[in-house]
Amino acid sequence: MAGSQDMFDAIVMADERFHGEGFQEGYVEGSRLGVTEGRQHGTLHGAKIGSEIGCYQGFAFAWKYLLHSCTTEKDSKKMKVLEALIGMIEKFPYDDPTYDRLHEDLDRIRGKFKQLCSLLNVQPDFKIRAEGSGLSF
Amino acid sequence: MSWVQAATLIQRPGDERDVFDEEADESLLVQREWRNHMHRRVKEGYRDGVDAGKAVTLQQGFNQGYKEGAEVIINYGQLRGTLSALLSWCHLHDNSSALISKINNLLDAVGQCEEYVLQHLKSVTPQPHVVDLLDSIQDTDLCHGVPAEKTIDEATDERLSENNAEFNKNCSTSPSGTDYSYLECYRTQQHTHSENPSLTWILEQTATLVKQLGIPVDILQHLKQL
Repeated sequence: MAGSQDMFDAIVMADERFHGEGFQEGYVEGSRLGVTEGRQHGTLHGAKIGSEIGCYQGFAFAWKYLLHSCTTEKDSKKMKVLEALIGMIEKFPYDDPTYDRLHEDLDRIRGKFKQLCSLLNVQPDFKIRAEGSGLSF
Repeated sequence: MSWVQAATLIQRPGDERDVFDEEADESLLVQREWRNHMHRRVKEGYRDGVDAGKAVTLQQGFNQGYKEGAEVIINYGQLRGTLSALLSWCHLHDNSSALISKINNLLDAVGQCEEYVLQHLKSVTPQPHVVDLLDSIQDTDLCHGVPAEKTIDEATDERLSENNAEFNKNCSTSPSGTDYSYLECYRTQQHTHSENPSLTWILEQTATLVKQLGIPVDILQHLKQL
């Protein structure tokens, strides 16, 4: 009796067992795929931010130097905006996609950058990477 | 899986069934059905497992890639921003168009470099043979900031690095201050189809350019980490 009961249980459980075996195999493969796929998307988005922030940073540092050493005009307004932009960029955690004020801060940096350009009376063309727009799934 | 295999074994004796055994066909059919059903269950489980595994690691992979992409590409952005500042400075001060087109060419070169590095960052997967490749590429000092090469096989790779070594040598030995040296390098680089003008070379050219503009080279101080 006990034997046939076991058999019966085994048959009922088989469904679950096979599913479970497949699941485990799939889970390992899925984890691997997830890391790879996620990484590919992440790289693109991170590169986009890095490229943009780097541009502002390089631009700001270079102009700071130019204003400091290559002009006689002491334009405190330009310098103030420049310093503000540099400060904002330095505080911005550009490599952290989980930063909750990412969009907000990025918009403020963009705004400050535009302000600086109009003060300097220049229109740089950065050709910032266009692909991708969201920052997570 | 062991159950499915067991079921296959049990089926064997049934194959040599008596032609008059009417029950044989039926039991064979049942066995086959059972086996198919269990195969299906394994497949379903596998699919569910892939989805579950992916769900757990996608964001983690995204964050990891994001950090890598941002950290590598920000250097190229900084160089591009600096060149753009110089360009706008030239426009404001009515500098010669020769210098302006030189800056534009360097900007293109940075963009190309950036694109190349990004393509290679994307193609890296966390597998051991890639790491091996990565080491060998770093040994050849192929280009700065390019961590690995996956899609191109090793033979092509070697050729590429040879071209590049040659290319870098040409560029670094060409006398700095010569107006056309960078253009020559640019052409060489296009000729050999190696898609990554070296970042060091672009930096050297930028330094030369800054001197020509009469600006102290210290302006490139913030690019030191490149």
